[in-house]
Amino acid sequence: MAAKGKIIWVSGPAVRADGMSDAKMYETVSVGNAKLIGEVIRLTGDTAFIQVYESTSGLKPGEPVIGTGNPLSVLLGPGIIGQIYDGIQRPLKDLAAKSGSFIGRGITTTPVDMTKKYKFKPLVKTGDEVKPGSVIGSVKETDLIDHSIMVPPDHPGGKITKIVSEGDYDLETELATTSESKIPIKMYHMWPVRKPRPYKSRYDPTVPLLTGQRVIDTFFPIAKGGTGSIPGAFGTGKTVTLHQIAKWADSQVVVYIGCGERGNEMTEVLVEFPHLKDPRTGKPLMDRTVLVANTSNMPVAAREASIYTGVTIAEYYRDMGKDVVLVADSTSRWAEALREMSGRLEEMPAEEGYPSYLASRLAEFYERAGRVRALGSPDRDGSVTLVGAVSPSGGDFTEPVTTHTMRFIKTFWALDAKLAYSRHYPSINWMNSYSGYLADIGKWWGDNVSKEWFELRSEAYGILQREDTLKEIVRLLGPEALPDEEKLILEVARMIKIGILQQNSFDDVDTYCSPQKQLKLLKLLVEFYRQGQKALKDGASLADIRAMPVIATLLKARMEIPDDQIAKLDQIETTIADEFKRIGVKVTN
Amino acid sequence: MSAQGGVQYSKIAEIKGPLVVVDGVDSAAFDELVEIQTTEGERRLGKVLEVGNGKAIVQVFEGTTGLSVSGTSAKFMGKVMEMPVSEEVLGRVFDGLGRPIDGLPDPIASKFLDINGEPMNPEQREYPRDFIQTGVSVIDGMLTLVRGQKLPIFSGSGMSHNILAAQIARQAAVVGTTDEFAVVFAAIGVQYSEAEYFKRSLEESGALKRSVLFLNLADDPAIERIITPRVALTVAEYLAYDLGMHVLVILTDMTNYAEALREISAAREEVPGRKGYPGYLYTDLSTIYERAGRLHGRKGSVTQMPILTMPSDDITHPIPDLTGYITEGQIVLGRDLFRQGVYPPVNILMSLSRIMKDGIGEGRTRADHQEVSNQNYDAYSRSQEVRALAGIVGKAGLTGVDLKYLEVGDSFEKDFLTQAVDENRTIEETLSLQWKVVSLLPKNELTKVKDKFIDQYYKER
Amino acid sequence: MGSDSALERTVEKIIHNTEEQILSNLKQALKSSQDALANSHVSLEQEYDRIISEGKKEAEKLEKQIIGNADLDSRNKQLVLIEESIEKVFDKAIKKIQDADRNSDYSKLISSMLEESIRTIGTPDIIIQTNSKDKSVVQSLLSKFSGATLSNDVIDCLGGIKVQSKDGTMKFDNTIDARLERLKPLIRKDIASKFGR
Repeated sequence: MAAKGKIIWVSGPAVRADGMSDAKMYETVSVGNAKLIGEVIRLTGDTAFIQVYESTSGLKPGEPVIGTGNPLSVLLGPGIIGQIYDGIQRPLKDLAAKSGSFIGRGITTTPVDMTKKYKFKPLVKTGDEVKPGSVIGSVKETDLIDHSIMVPPDHPGGKITKIVSEGDYDLETELATTSESKIPIKMYHMWPVRKPRPYKSRYDPTVPLLTGQRVIDTFFPIAKGGTGSIPGAFGTGKTVTLHQIAKWADSQVVVYIGCGERGNEMTEVLVEFPHLKDPRTGKPLMDRTVLVANTSNMPVAAREASIYTGVTIAEYYRDMGKDVVLVADSTSRWAEALREMSGRLEEMPAEEGYPSYLASRLAEFYERAGRVRALGSPDRDGSVTLVGAVSPSGGDFTEPVTTHTMRFIKTFWALDAKLAYSRHYPSINWMNSYSGYLADIGKWWGDNVSKEWFELRSEAYGILQREDTLKEIVRLLGPEALPDEEKLILEVARMIKIGILQQNSFDDVDTYCSPQKQLKLLKLLVEFYRQGQKALKDGASLADIRAMPVIATLLKARMEIPDDQIAKLDQIETTIADEFKRIGVKVTN
Repeated sequence: MSAQGGVQYSKIAEIKGPLVVVDGVDSAAFDELVEIQTTEGERRLGKVLEVGNGKAIVQVFEGTTGLSVSGTSAKFMGKVMEMPVSEEVLGRVFDGLGRPIDGLPDPIASKFLDINGEPMNPEQREYPRDFIQTGVSVIDGMLTLVRGQKLPIFSGSGMSHNILAAQIARQAAVVGTTDEFAVVFAAIGVQYSEAEYFKRSLEESGALKRSVLFLNLADDPAIERIITPRVALTVAEYLAYDLGMHVLVILTDMTNYAEALREISAAREEVPGRKGYPGYLYTDLSTIYERAGRLHGRKGSVTQMPILTMPSDDITHPIPDLTGYITEGQIVLGRDLFRQGVYPPVNILMSLSRIMKDGIGEGRTRADHQEVSNQNYDAYSRSQEVRALAGIVGKAGLTGVDLKYLEVGDSFEKDFLTQAVDENRTIEETLSLQWKVVSLLPKNELTKVKDKFIDQYYKER
Repeated sequence: MGSDSALERTVEKIIHNTEEQILSNLKQALKSSQDALANSHVSLEQEYDRIISEGKKEAEKLEKQIIGNADLDSRNKQLVLIEESIEKVFDKAIKKIQDADRNSDYSKLISSMLEESIRTIGTPDIIIQTNSKDKSVVQSLLSKFSGATLSNDVIDCLGGIKVQSKDGTMKFDNTIDARLERLKPLIRKDIASKFGR
């Protein structure tokens, strides 16, 4: 029985109502005469504390609050891909159709077009036994997405008693019924956002998520089903890096959550993605992307929900056996939304006013990442990779959101304002960043790209580490204080920075780098270092090495040599060898 | 608007800081406009921050000085605060709450608009792409401003931010169009002389007739500052989206705004975030800054240039920090350059325009724009490193190319950055100055520029 | 003669060389003075152009300024004129209301004002104030509103009532003055539109 109460208090997005003894925790409610959407977040006696997902301006004590009986849920079915939703899965296009350029209030819509017909191909027949999560058929959602229709995880399954034949059906059509339940299976089902979708078993992440970004793939990789975090002060290029991941990651579905960020950034994705082609399939990137946009000036409570809306959608596509990447920009704004609601609830604050449950909420969120075997049959393996931006206040990585996040993620890409000021992009600091997946995915690189990968990567990283210590000496004594061997390290480190670590996301060639090209560039630079060391030993001077014309070619190779002309990199390798030979000849003469 | 007025309540439970707690109220609405009346009959405006359990907490814009528990009454107006708008607001001067202070009658409203606005639907935004020529080289060349962008100036006390903003307001134009900018200027707690400088500057350039001024001066009520940017933006949105004008909004000084917000938060005894600023400062600022933009199917645009003075020149202070997270870049003024007498003293390494890439290039400015600008960044950044190194090892310890970089640094500051307050440079002039600076370097140092551009524009110096 | 002619040749050669040098020097001097002249011509022209263009810029600026300010001035004068007309219309309207008959329609108005006031304040126990002219109208309606009393104090207003709860904590101003005040922006717009604004 639905609760029917009355507002007794309003302050910003927080509302208290009495007469709510029938309400359940996390139930969605309709608030006030304007029928705003809210969610019960605390119950004391018959008083409910409600966070409201829309502006509460004009709301008065005495107005009604009516329960819906359901927790905050998302609709899962074909039609999600390519959409831009607000934090509670309302399509922004529909909102615009109903309230114009600015977001009005009290508008209800359906998350997908319920009347659109999809061609359904049944994969089971009458009499087959299905379990929760089993695939009963599929529809083509976009050119890129084969959408499996599954028995909802909360449906008991059983023997198929009836199933429609192949044909075009809309979302409300009853596709199948089973022996164990009166509830028919349709093309869609609802799922509460705060409840992780169940799976059969979990695997260790061992396959890298390739992003085409050298500093990520080569130096600080993330695995499919892994977790990563990208903290950085403003202006360090967080959003550009996240956009790059969303564009080029080798996953089948991308969920991009703009959580309390800029409106124009979401517009940029909307304008750009339909024109960008997936490097692997040649299809528009929008055909695999879902956007959840709750910009900074939209109601703060819906910002809190947007993360859960996004991750539930991600899990749904994972259950079809797909690799899904979820990018959340920014988890700090989500944490601030928690803080604001906590403050209005007058809870005891922990550090910097954040609620004491901040850490556990972050842990719960990142725990929803993973590579899993889905429920039911046939066997499907899918993954959800979670990448969250963090916006530490003042760029200070010791603040609560950053420190707590670091406890729950395995890849850490630390953005550095100093690098950004010198226009080194992506400004991922190679000394402060780390990846916990190196050992696990090294095998993949060995099997699929080159056995040398792990060694080359370690050697290159070693050079960068040596440079970091040497820089201290240079700072105190000037570069001339170092012997040539060490100066060579500085020189090669500089080349690694320009030739590999830096990547121009606005350059047509450089924006995406295949694993093969990454390995080749890495190899060239390590090779250069090895031969340089040898030349110095044989009596060459550093000036000779510095004067080698091949250096400029090597440094521009990332931009000048596209992925389909990798053979040109072999020519550079030959040139390096030739030029070192020439130096050697000069020395012996 | 109805003829029906609100009930006047005279049971005041408490007055603290800028807040008045009214008792025995059973039907006030959240955010509702309130008229406070003193014993002397003076009227002040406020709004409801919290309502329930028979109490309403009212924030009084003009402050609570002189109010007493016994003599004060509060009238709930049955509406949120609105700003009357019409084309005739152009050329007018208003106070911080939007009431005329130029001796002319109230504008005859064609509309009354909620000053809080509504969030723009991101799906309905038009991505900003039109290059605005400000005539200031460092901005046009390296920190390009685009219609619909929000690009703040981060300054420090006493620096030349207002002079720069006034110059931009006078000179801003979109090349290839005759469109002129309407200027909406909101003074938030600034000194009379600064506001007057701005007004005179608009007057002298004949731009006053397409400007609207909102003045909350240093000695005006502090809490009014919460409202000033909002009435200004409401007018700007009207001019842009109803009348199709391109509007440049200058908000100075947002630091004073944030301080007013902190004052209210403290009076409400809220749990503070960093440096005593409320935890919702980010969200609150975004409801101001995100009101910049363009919309599908509408001609006009709102471009914002908020100005803020960083306390102790500290860019990690919550106000510049949170602003930087919302705005699309920042123009940072440098104390060192300012001391050296450089105008405009823009520290380009700390500055950034996020939308620049989409507003420049072939067909907008020039094909080589991005690359020559990148090369200038790179060269200037290197020159700063070399300057630091020269500080350790002395100039004599520098090698040939490093010495060139020293020259580049000087030339950048002297030839390119520095310009007169009334000097309006075209984009072509700006770009050739950028080439002039990097032409001090040998060709093979220009790694950010394509060879074809080097052939076309490089002139060895 | 041998040595003589050799000497002669040498002298000649020297003279010739010197001549040539002098000539070339002369030529050079001529050329450089010509160049200088040409240059100065160019720079003079440039200077001239610069002065003209700066003068032009300055003139344009001045023009913009003068026109801009003149436009604004005339617009502002218009605003003041319109306002004066609006005030006149308003004054007339007020006079009309003041002189209006307190007939049965008027009594209905007061009655509905009373109802509205009681609803808004939320209690029937109210004290009513009004001006001397409307006192009798209110008095005649009191029987319909139990709990309402009429105050002996008269207030200065065009008409209508002021109501307060008996404990004095709530007041509701429902005078015609207050209603006019609230509607004034809308009425002004109506009147102004009649002046083509």
